[in-house]
Amino acid sequence: MNMHCQEPGPCGPIPVRFRLNGREVSLQVDAGQSVLHLLREKLGLKGAKEGCGIGECGACTVVVDGVAVNGCLMMAAQLDGREVLTVEGLESPVGLHPLQEAFLEHHAVQCGFCTPGMLMSAYALLARNPQPTRDQIVEALAGNLCRCTGYEQVLKAVEAAARRLASRSGT
Amino acid sequence: MRWAATYHRPSDLTRALELLDALGGQALLLAGGTDLMVEMREGKHGGSHLVDISRLPELKLLELKDGEIHLGAGLTFTEILGSELLRLHAPALVQAASQIGSLQIRNVATLGGNVVHCSPCADSVPGLLVQDARAILQSRGGTRDVPVQEILVGPYKSGIQPGELLTRFSLRSASGMWGAFHKLARRSALAIARLSLAVLARHGDEGLSDVRIALGSGTPVPRRMVEVEEFLLGKAPTEEDLWEAGRVLASKMVEVAGMRASTVYKERAAQGLLVQAMMPLVRHGN
Repeated sequence: MNMHCQEPGPCGPIPVRFRLNGREVSLQVDAGQSVLHLLREKLGLKGAKEGCGIGECGACTVVVDGVAVNGCLMMAAQLDGREVLTVEGLESPVGLHPLQEAFLEHHAVQCGFCTPGMLMSAYALLARNPQPTRDQIVEALAGNLCRCTGYEQVLKAVEAAARRLASRSGT
Repeated sequence: MRWAATYHRPSDLTRALELLDALGGQALLLAGGTDLMVEMREGKHGGSHLVDISRLPELKLLELKDGEIHLGAGLTFTEILGSELLRLHAPALVQAASQIGSLQIRNVATLGGNVVHCSPCADSVPGLLVQDARAILQSRGGTRDVPVQEILVGPYKSGIQPGELLTRFSLRSASGMWGAFHKLARRSALAIARLSLAVLARHGDEGLSDVRIALGSGTPVPRRMVEVEEFLLGKAPTEEDLWEAGRVLASKMVEVAGMRASTVYKERAAQGLLVQAMMPLVRHGN
């Protein structure tokens, strides 16, 4: 494990290595730089959005080691050794992820600003709990604000995606 | 944009304590980071030394030993919520954990961070106070074992000294006790508590044989409300008793916090919050 700056004193950029959407990434980050800033400004991944910048809106949600986190509240240096999934990693060579398909089919997108965060919160939920109740979906998405849809279509889309994933896996 | 700070990630507790000792007041601890990142965004903490303690295995302790729960300061609220042991032995704390922030925040924010940040509205603190929680503070020079209440020096001001690290909490088990945590806020998720209340009670045919109540957000630091506990002890409370207990709670709150702009509202709200939280203890049809 990388052990940057064992001793007190001035230090330069921090080397980090992690897996991003299935690929190994190795680069240098600044202390205090957020995961969101790294993704958007250094790596060109513009899916995660900065809505509030203080952890209230969830537009910056990404999945780190299987759980949803706010990209604006995590330091890039903390990604070292971790597995990161962003909305750009949801799609596979065969097409959109079932969640993305369901969002389109159920009109769960209006302006689209919150959508990447919604998708990543929903992805983390279904990975942990493939057949959630509506209450469980509401709880998992409570940290994602949407000012357009009124949420109903989003909830329906997540339910539909869960059914689709279940039928594909034969359960 | 650059961030003028230095980042350290010690690999174990011994190294972390050595580093904190060497850095003294320059060290800024990074656990979940959910409060810290907001403050850094506001331009605070420039030039500081960030010490990332989020991966220290010693801070993830969770065990029951000799009737006490030992709880690592680095446990996240999601980890606390997932613990069957804590559901049995710390019911009010677990309910408080479920109401903190959003899932994204609970996945990284830690119990220790919530306490040392010393926000008057920290949701986990009343849940710790009703279990007479003690904080274990370790430094290179030794260990201090102090009641959590004593760490809470003032709003956003903790009594933890430079070089010290809050490593764990020790709680009296609340096994067999009824517990509740209620909060009032402007919305139900991701909400800053305007008032919060944690209750633990043991009740039988003889009424309440043990009752512990702590208020958050109503006073400069969360605190136990001993006067209310004394009023309720031994009673099999009726709804009228709860309203009276709520009145005692509200008057103590005003005595401690003084008259503020929000007092007119909070006095009545504190009373209502207590009644709401403890209503399940009222026996109907007696």
